[in-house]
Amino acid sequence: MSEDHKDNFFHRIEKSAIVTFIGIVILFSVSVAIVLIAPRHLDPSWTQPTSSYQVQMYEIMDPNFYISSSPHSSYNLQTVYHLTADYTLLGFFDSDTFKILAPPELEKYINKEKETNIKLTPRLLLLRNPEGPYAEQAQNYRERLQKEWEQKHPKWLDEGLVKPDFEIWELYAPEGKEAFALAPPDSMVENWIDKDYQIIDVNEKKQHHADNGVIYVNNPLEYRITHYTFGTEEGWRYDPKGKPIQSLEELKGHQLGFRSRQEFIKLGEHIYAIEGCWYCHTDQTRTLVQDVVLNGSDSYPAPPSSANEYIYQEITFPGTRRIGPDMSRVGVKRPSRDWHKAHFWSPKTASKGSIMPSFRHFFDFDPRGTSQTLPGIPNYRFEAIFQYLMTKGTRITPPTEAWWLGKDPIKTKEIIEGQRKLK
Amino acid sequence: MTEYTEYNDTPVKLFLYPSILFMVVGMTFGVYIAFNGFIFPDYFSGEYIHFGRIRPVHVGTVTLLWLLSADLALFYYFIPRLCGVPLWSPNMAYAASAFWWVGLLIGVYSYPWGTNFGWEYAELPNSVAGIPVKPMIFIGWFLTVINLFMTIASRKYEKMYVSLWYAMGTMIWTTFTLFVGSYAINWVPGGISRVNTSFFYVHNLVGLIYTPMGLATAYYFLPKLANAPIYSHRLSMIGFWAIAFVYAWIGAHHILHGPMSQWLQTTAIVFSIWLFIPVWTVVANLGYTLHGHWSAFNQNAAIRFLMMGNLFYLLTCVQGPLMALRNVSEITSKTDWIIGHSHISLYATFTFFAIAGIYQAIPVITKKPLWSTTLANWHFSLNLLGSIPFIAALWVGGFWQGMLWSTWADGNTYAEFHNNLTVLPFLDTIAEMRIWWILRAIGGMIILFANILFVINIFNTIVLKTVPKKATIPA
Repeated sequence: MSEDHKDNFFHRIEKSAIVTFIGIVILFSVSVAIVLIAPRHLDPSWTQPTSSYQVQMYEIMDPNFYISSSPHSSYNLQTVYHLTADYTLLGFFDSDTFKILAPPELEKYINKEKETNIKLTPRLLLLRNPEGPYAEQAQNYRERLQKEWEQKHPKWLDEGLVKPDFEIWELYAPEGKEAFALAPPDSMVENWIDKDYQIIDVNEKKQHHADNGVIYVNNPLEYRITHYTFGTEEGWRYDPKGKPIQSLEELKGHQLGFRSRQEFIKLGEHIYAIEGCWYCHTDQTRTLVQDVVLNGSDSYPAPPSSANEYIYQEITFPGTRRIGPDMSRVGVKRPSRDWHKAHFWSPKTASKGSIMPSFRHFFDFDPRGTSQTLPGIPNYRFEAIFQYLMTKGTRITPPTEAWWLGKDPIKTKEIIEGQRKLK
Repeated sequence: MTEYTEYNDTPVKLFLYPSILFMVVGMTFGVYIAFNGFIFPDYFSGEYIHFGRIRPVHVGTVTLLWLLSADLALFYYFIPRLCGVPLWSPNMAYAASAFWWVGLLIGVYSYPWGTNFGWEYAELPNSVAGIPVKPMIFIGWFLTVINLFMTIASRKYEKMYVSLWYAMGTMIWTTFTLFVGSYAINWVPGGISRVNTSFFYVHNLVGLIYTPMGLATAYYFLPKLANAPIYSHRLSMIGFWAIAFVYAWIGAHHILHGPMSQWLQTTAIVFSIWLFIPVWTVVANLGYTLHGHWSAFNQNAAIRFLMMGNLFYLLTCVQGPLMALRNVSEITSKTDWIIGHSHISLYATFTFFAIAGIYQAIPVITKKPLWSTTLANWHFSLNLLGSIPFIAALWVGGFWQGMLWSTWADGNTYAEFHNNLTVLPFLDTIAEMRIWWILRAIGGMIILFANILFVINIFNTIVLKTVPKKATIPA
């Protein structure tokens, strides 16, 4: 810079470290305010949930759905609902083969067949193996039902029919504020109802009861266990005639070893981070035809990822490289626990051409000692990563509006086929 | 600079010598995963050595233990010299290096044991076995920043050379960026807010740490090496303020077509295009500086590194804004192209700049001429030879994979789209990459070998007392 231009702007700031400093800070602050701080206040989808189903799954079901894969000495996955009075919604359904006996004051909670307006209740009720006077009643009832069935199908033996095993349960109101019920092991989606239902006998109204739909527990069978000893081995197993679980402490204790699905999902996210899954797998269906096709089902494309799908995550892994397939819809594309078991054990044999490392530390040595070349027993790490993956793509909309049933609310298929224009 | 100011170069050595060693260590990890991750996938199999756990070790070693540390060392080297005063507090610098190295070493090498924080380029855990590694690194950083700022504040020359501007910018931006990526990310709501913060951090790490650091060193060392003044001081300042204005806006271009607000994506694209301004000013300025001194290019490996780095800088920064366009991103995003892009910027540009700086600084701080200029020439030639198959393979392979993916979008109905996917399943597009991955590994091995020569050369320069015949004192 020549001597003639001593007064020009550049020359002056050139000499001042302070002006440089302030200039840098101001420019930087403006950009930070606009690109970092403003967006989540301007775009509600960054913080608002996708649906009340998503909220209820993460906030109500996940903390109360318990999983254990550690009954002593044998691998047998156990799943349990933790029910709380005035909180968990329950639905009782009578059917052809599933019969509920109830004292007169509880009759009103049972939905008979063909009933159109479903009754749900936050009262703590349970189904148990009929006890006391109901035991005999149940026995007679079963015999009567079987007789009726035989009369209906007189030639059942010749026709090769199987006599149905009529399940008869007693509805009762347990003491206390909480109870434990048997849950289905692979529940990617929960029971959801959003029309023709009413919630009866509400003591205190909980917020989620007023949503435009609710998740409920269908026919909760009381979770009871029996402890046994077999030689030197001490264990426990599910037994409808055993003793009820007394408390959450017992359920989560060393012996039973249950953990909530929420804990597993959180741990799964941590495992996804530390194993570096995210260096090879993206977790976003982009607004590109190739992406919605790659993640789609046989009949329907997957809707592109929206910001609010991720709001319940501590860490989000949108990813920068796709060496393996995208993960954002894996809960729908690959819902099978067995598939994941085989795949984590040996990806190269489970999907030919894969370059994924095997994750044998997700398995424990098989104590039955059948064979070391067969998959070991999935341990808590497998359970965690599996539960985490199953959240992907399954919680965007309620199951009644699921994209994999063609009810995608943003109509991805119409858009990519050019029948609908984006606004 | 001035003959009568005595500079204490021990802080430079404390940062520089380990970093040179870690460059080779990091590249060895890179070659390992090039084989064990891609060519013979999972050949060495197991919890602690599979791809997902070793990749961050490679990235952490070359970005933090090598490049960032080496650039810091060069700051300790040229900032006092540009200010004409000794370092404000050498003791503070010793403390800084102690915190820095212990924190980084434990932090980066703990990843295989499951300490990955889970955000890209921010994998460092807060603590490892009770050792607060992240706070230690921050302390090391703060001590360095305070020390260098105080040196600048007490400078003898009133007018600041452009390298000082870049150095000051780096220290302000980086302090904030590191803090955002390491801690503040946990204060925003989960989900896309964090993703946005993460990409802000990721891009600023490259754009506001490595870029100004690299450019500061380039602007300092090129005139030194070529013995020619910088072409235009004003051009360099336009470049500087353009970077200050543009860079922080563009993080969202990492998630184009993704679950991010469209206006934010568009903002990022617009600012990405403006990146052409600072880049062209730098490239032109460095090029014109050597104008009339091109014989120096033939005589000095360090100048070759600098000018090749400059050329690669041009390439990477032509790529960058173009990749930020929606239609280009549709093909290149999520492919090996991205890996190629990050290597051309952090390796072929900024590592080349840092190496050039080291070649100039080493004889000064050791007060001995370089052990072997022949070895330095080989170092450059092999580096160039290795980087071309390395980078070209990632570009071509990545682009090809993106094109293969785009074939799924051929057709008019979902049945047709879906049929494309049965004709070309995802795993087939991975199989197509193998030849490119082999080429990449070959290039990587050449680069590794070249840099082993570099380490030998520097080691001998430092350790050997006698001066070999062939050695010459660089200009």
